[in-house]
Amino acid sequence: MKRLNKLKKEYDDIEIPPELDNLVKDSIQGAKNAKKKRSPVRNWSIGVAAAAALFVGSINASPTFANSLANIPVLGSIVQVFTIDTLTLEEETYQANMKTPAIDGLENEGLQTALNEKYIEENKALFTKFEEEIARLEEAGSGHLGMDSGYEVKTDTEQILSIARYETTTAGSSSTEMQYDTIDKQHNILLTLPSLFKDDSYVEIITTYIKQEMKRQMEEDENTAYLAIEGADIEFSSIQANQDFYITADHTLVISFDQYEVAPGYMGVVTFEIPSHILQDALVGDTYIQ
Amino acid sequence: MFKIKEGEPFVMTKNKKIEQVEQFLIENQNAHYRLAYSYVKNKENALDIVQDSIFKALKSIHRLEEIKYLKTWFYRILVNTSIDFIRKHQRVMVMDDEVLDGYLPQTEDEPTDIDLLDALDTLPPDEKSLIILRFFEDLKIDEVAAVLDENSNTVKTRLYRTLKKLRIEIEKGDLE
Repeated sequence: MKRLNKLKKEYDDIEIPPELDNLVKDSIQGAKNAKKKRSPVRNWSIGVAAAAALFVGSINASPTFANSLANIPVLGSIVQVFTIDTLTLEEETYQANMKTPAIDGLENEGLQTALNEKYIEENKALFTKFEEEIARLEEAGSGHLGMDSGYEVKTDTEQILSIARYETTTAGSSSTEMQYDTIDKQHNILLTLPSLFKDDSYVEIITTYIKQEMKRQMEEDENTAYLAIEGADIEFSSIQANQDFYITADHTLVISFDQYEVAPGYMGVVTFEIPSHILQDALVGDTYIQ
Repeated sequence: MFKIKEGEPFVMTKNKKIEQVEQFLIENQNAHYRLAYSYVKNKENALDIVQDSIFKALKSIHRLEEIKYLKTWFYRILVNTSIDFIRKHQRVMVMDDEVLDGYLPQTEDEPTDIDLLDALDTLPPDEKSLIILRFFEDLKIDEVAAVLDENSNTVKTRLYRTLKKLRIEIEKGDLE
């Protein structure tokens, strides 16, 4: 060990240059600025979100304002998804924040009501589950639990509306589940993954692509990891026929996996854009995916 | 017992995470610099690597799922960045045997501590990482394994082999 200690001393004696301190601080600041600069879209969307929040707030607060909007056709059709209800709970060791989305403005009111009711029911069930879990933890002494749920509008074009809903449970470690609804606004139908394709050949096409893509990403970035590769304990064998998905504004199919579903937890929820050209032969038509 | 407030603002845990990462980066900057320096052996490059790693870390902070993995997560970025740097800047020169002989140290020289230091530097980067992380940075075997993305037993075996190569005798239990 003597030789090792000598080496360690050598290591500890590496001189720290005086400029390190500033460099670290500058880098942190720089990374922050770069992040801001590089995503003008995100900034813009926060602005829109804030405006939308104000807007929704106004609708909720003032029936007169809401009515006045409904009378203006253009504005009326913009109102699509808003937060109808927020359930929050704030205790020292228990936190919940659950936002329920609601869709408005769809011509097919049956579909709209069905979706809205589903969202409300799901969040209520989640909150009940949360309260039960707390009761169980309290009985056992004490514990920590957090639950967040909310939504994000992934795509909102003239034709398509994709809403993603997430549910994050934190108890020591956390896990996130994502669910999506994609609606054809023009035909007023809810799209499912199988309904986009002629037969079930898409399962294999998409699975093959995702496996390749996982491999490629892992080779490119050493911090990326999937459980998917041969030899791993839990192997990714295939997507589900009704795997979670949404469609982007430029008609690309995106396949989504919950946290832990195909990758270690630190990767979070992972999504894969599927190039449209490999799906071409299997698609029913090019209305949604091109 | 529990109050439910309506319309409360969304709780942002993300900012708290960023704050903790930043604090960690500032507090441990000297260790991070030493680690980078021991790979590249020069001040400018070591500073570059620290800077690069901070950028990478803050850019991919969403991938850090739990704050308790912060240390191993950042060390992993730092080690990978250092090794990448060495790979990119490595100049391999091919020489004639005759010329080469002139450069080689005489084999009958007495082994000294200088040799030991040189020996550490001649180790392949991944073996060097093992020694630095385990003995200089005092990481546990499990943590070293997490940084290098290996399992603990592999790390242990390779550590033994590397130490043997450096002719460092080690007592049982030192690796635990």
